[in-house]
Amino acid sequence: MNKQQLSRTMSACSLPLLEQIAQQITQEQQVQVEREPQTSLIMAKAKDSVSSQPFYLGEVLVTECTISVNQKLGIGIVVGEKPLRAYCMAIIDAALNAGVPVLDRWGDRLRAEKQQLQKEHALEYARCAQSQVHFDTMEEYNDKR
Amino acid sequence: MGYVAVTGGQKAIEAADQLNLWYRLKDTEHSLETTDIEKQLRHLVDRVMSESGLYAPNYAALAIKQAEGDLCEAAFLMRAYRSTLERTYESLTIDPGRMRVIRRISSAFKDIPGGQILGPTMDYTHRLLNFSLNHENSAEMMNILREKVPDLKLSQPPVFQKVAKLLREQGLLFPPKSSGTLFDITRDKLSFPAPRSAKLQILARGETGAMTALAYSNMRSHIANHPTIGELRVGYAEVTIAYPLDASESICLGEIMITEVETINAFERDEQGEVKLRLGYGLTFGQNETKAIAMAILEQSLETEGPSPTQDEEFVLLHVDSIEANGFVSHLKLPHYITFQSKLDVLRQTQKIATATADKKRQINAQKEGQNDAGKAETNI
Repeated sequence: MNKQQLSRTMSACSLPLLEQIAQQITQEQQVQVEREPQTSLIMAKAKDSVSSQPFYLGEVLVTECTISVNQKLGIGIVVGEKPLRAYCMAIIDAALNAGVPVLDRWGDRLRAEKQQLQKEHALEYARCAQSQVHFDTMEEYNDKR
Repeated sequence: MGYVAVTGGQKAIEAADQLNLWYRLKDTEHSLETTDIEKQLRHLVDRVMSESGLYAPNYAALAIKQAEGDLCEAAFLMRAYRSTLERTYESLTIDPGRMRVIRRISSAFKDIPGGQILGPTMDYTHRLLNFSLNHENSAEMMNILREKVPDLKLSQPPVFQKVAKLLREQGLLFPPKSSGTLFDITRDKLSFPAPRSAKLQILARGETGAMTALAYSNMRSHIANHPTIGELRVGYAEVTIAYPLDASESICLGEIMITEVETINAFERDEQGEVKLRLGYGLTFGQNETKAIAMAILEQSLETEGPSPTQDEEFVLLHVDSIEANGFVSHLKLPHYITFQSKLDVLRQTQKIATATADKKRQINAQKEGQNDAGKAETNI
């Protein structure tokens, strides 16, 4: 799992799992809070499909936290006001940056969470796809009769 | 107009605040849960987020509760709160073409690759009051809905190709315009003509009602310019940023819900004489479909020249912001004693001068008449 994949999973997966991982790292490594979890803003930039150029859509509230594990920094940022999640994400990120083999021990659980999230997304899509529609014009409708 | 500050009234203002609480709670047994507002009044929350320009569903729900459902006030609260926060990063460019779709329709094409999904919509619902909601049992209802488990045909949701991309590949669209610099209306002073990115940013956080009214006026005044929706999609888009400790990597912060609309506004000939389509573009936070359509109509109208008010970018862009428009109109409720007194003074002074002038004229006329009478008498002698 690279940073993108891992952060995607950690931003939405079960919080107790993240707490478990963070707790273990805290017990075994030298963990220091560099910046307490706090809310801030991210400016969301989106692509305008007419000009293919970006524009600023608006700001997104996020929670951000910075932690060091064995003097190596790590960052946790997540959409919404979620201080505990941002804190856990920052510990895990810092541990990975410090070379702590987090994924050796927790990789399977995190991959399972990733699959679970994909399943939930697939289920949500399947639910919406039940409203898939094919309109016939009256001409087509009459031809079929 | 110059303003003069007033002072005093602290006790009355505090009492007025208490009265807000009193009138909000006096006839109810429980205070509204903000999670209920967030989860069950989705469109209201989406509208407040969109008009405030801040994506934060739980804070929008809180603002709605605090403002007792006044949308402009709620958006104002959100905009004010936003100004207290530090902006730490800018996202990588979100491509709505990659969104996790829950709704996707086209009124221009019956058959679009991937198909049309109505998703959560009231477009085809009878506008009849549903009295059963008065006694809704949410747990019971959820059990019924959960029983209708759909077949899982895919392991993950598909990514739908955009209709505009297909049209572009077929050479049916005007080539992308250069949009000038990437402008941020929250940081830079706006001047006219505004770059395209500024117009889109203003419209993206514009007030739904104002934008809908202007878009409607545009359609009514140009019957031949009836836009068609090439594609409307609602879904979740990922927010990613460059990893702050190593810009060569990126991290995902989560998802936000957005609505994207591409309207086909006009068929025009290009320089080679070929007929092509001109697209309008709308993108908003949350599920705000009417606003996104209005945005697409207005942004395209602003790209053209003509006598319509919706082609005047200063008129459109300076009047669609909820906080500015609502703030200016509602500030009329605040004390204007000095300014109004000065107007009254001017009025009284003008009246005084007018009375004095009229008196003088009367005096002169009386004198003239007296002289004439004396002259007549002398002639008679």
